[in-house]
Amino acid sequence: MIALRSTLTGRIVLAVLSTLVLLFLALPIVLIVVTSFGSDAFGSFPPDSWTLSWYEQLFADGSKWPAALSLSALVASLTTVFSLVLGMTAATALVRSKLPLRSAVYGLVLAPLVIPQVVIALGLFLLFEPAAMLGSPIALALGHTVLASPIAVMILMATLQGIDERLEDAAASMGAGRLTVARRITLPLAMPGMIAAAIFSFITSFDEFFISMFLSSVDTTTLPVQMFNVLQFDVDPSVTAVSALLIAIAVVALVLVAVVRRLGGSGKQEGLLPTEPAMGLSAGSEAS
Amino acid sequence: MAGTVLAPAPPAPGPGTPAASQGRLRRVLSERRTRFGLLNAAPVVVYLLVLFVYPIFSTLLLSLKGADGGWTLHWYANALQGSNLKVLLTTLRISAETSLLSLVIGFMLAAAVSRLKPLWAGLVMIIVIVPHFISALVRTYGWIILLGEHGVINNALTDLDVPGAPFQMLYNELGVVIGTTSVMLPYTVLLLYAVMKGIDRRLPAAAASMGAGRLTIFRRVYLPMVAPGLVNAGILSFILCLGYYLTPALMGGPKQTMVASLISEQVMKQSQWNGAAALGIILLFLTFAGLLLLRLIKVVGEAAKNRGTS
Repeated sequence: MIALRSTLTGRIVLAVLSTLVLLFLALPIVLIVVTSFGSDAFGSFPPDSWTLSWYEQLFADGSKWPAALSLSALVASLTTVFSLVLGMTAATALVRSKLPLRSAVYGLVLAPLVIPQVVIALGLFLLFEPAAMLGSPIALALGHTVLASPIAVMILMATLQGIDERLEDAAASMGAGRLTVARRITLPLAMPGMIAAAIFSFITSFDEFFISMFLSSVDTTTLPVQMFNVLQFDVDPSVTAVSALLIAIAVVALVLVAVVRRLGGSGKQEGLLPTEPAMGLSAGSEAS
Repeated sequence: MAGTVLAPAPPAPGPGTPAASQGRLRRVLSERRTRFGLLNAAPVVVYLLVLFVYPIFSTLLLSLKGADGGWTLHWYANALQGSNLKVLLTTLRISAETSLLSLVIGFMLAAAVSRLKPLWAGLVMIIVIVPHFISALVRTYGWIILLGEHGVINNALTDLDVPGAPFQMLYNELGVVIGTTSVMLPYTVLLLYAVMKGIDRRLPAAAASMGAGRLTIFRRVYLPMVAPGLVNAGILSFILCLGYYLTPALMGGPKQTMVASLISEQVMKQSQWNGAAALGIILLFLTFAGLLLLRLIKVVGEAAKNRGTS
């Protein structure tokens, strides 16, 4: 500020308070990662000695974690495919065409982000329970796609808006058909956005808990549901290791998105990440 | 935006289209484009109608269905009395506490970040955003090992011989509010930061040059400019809290049961689907009320702004 220089005390107070807030956000996460390598499970920080035994326990015989992990991976992969298909077509419709009732469609697409998840989960339960589909990976993925597709649509809309439409027009004017234009021009240019959308869809599904809980059966549980079930009874060092794995996956995914976006040359857009759900929420309230 | 008043007028929308043939071409093109749009919008619309709108609609029907097959408001009456009403009020209370706390903390952090140099601001925002993409379950678990009776904080306090330690910070309202606030905080920080970055810094400076004191500037210049963001962030985090399940379920005690927990209990343990459906619809209604309020405030705010500039 030009005329308004903050006082020194004011700045120090603000800096200290902000550091505390950042600690508040980061501490639980750092703690989990560090504790997962500590020999005494929890309570002392930093741990007295280090071990990998909690990770070994995850994959020991009779452990329930590998099954949960592979179900989660399967469901997340299906969700990624569903939400990419829905996201790409929806973004094309919203950005690249004249759509009657456009704002209604846009509002519908973003609505799952603001509707309480418990309501969505309950509705899906009522849908899949009579069909005896509880616990099926397809039902889980269909449910997760309701939450993942709005994010994919937002990312892909931003991507398409960033592609110069004249490139497509030029190709079309030189005789390329619609499919050729999509395959040779639009898809390659949209690739970074599609990878980002895929990664966020995968993570959304992989971490999703509430819908999974309603759609799980006794012997098919996703990783988060399994974690929750264990945590309801006790804190368990194997949960610490699973949590650390989930943190690692999320961080790797975010780094991947950042790298892809940098390589894709869309550095013009501000920020590390394409869309924050918060921003989507405010956009959603604007569009409705 | 007040700033756009001074901006140069946008360029004219291209040359006119006098020829009738061109108009017809454009109409045909637009029809093609419309068909193309409808075709591409169909998958997501159908998908959401079947897996999102229809399930909610059938929840609504279920909540209105009596045991004898007729229509009834019995489940709503049931949801709004006794222990169910208490859960509803608890939900509203915890949501209010959480959104207020994350608003205050978020305001502070966003204000601090908006004064930083871009590089530092970027680094701080990474610390804000990355947790947002880490499973809330994981973060809640982190709080549990941090705040537990033999958790990290209590052990440290006991070692330091702090009187009264260990403190009870888990399975009560304190734990729930701490945990839920840490989940909601990224939203408020992001929303407020976006608003604060858009503020014209010359305005507070102008006020100062005309002799306004620090407090006056904050109250009369700064606060009115960020107020819409504050209201937005507050209502949004309140709405998101209403249906929140994980953290209250894991970090709360029996007195912190929230509606989402009640619904899942009624479905999973009591097979009380109609009651659960009624609770869900009440939650939905509260959410819509909040969204409507957001919309209303926005419309009123824009009207006031237009009056101010004209």
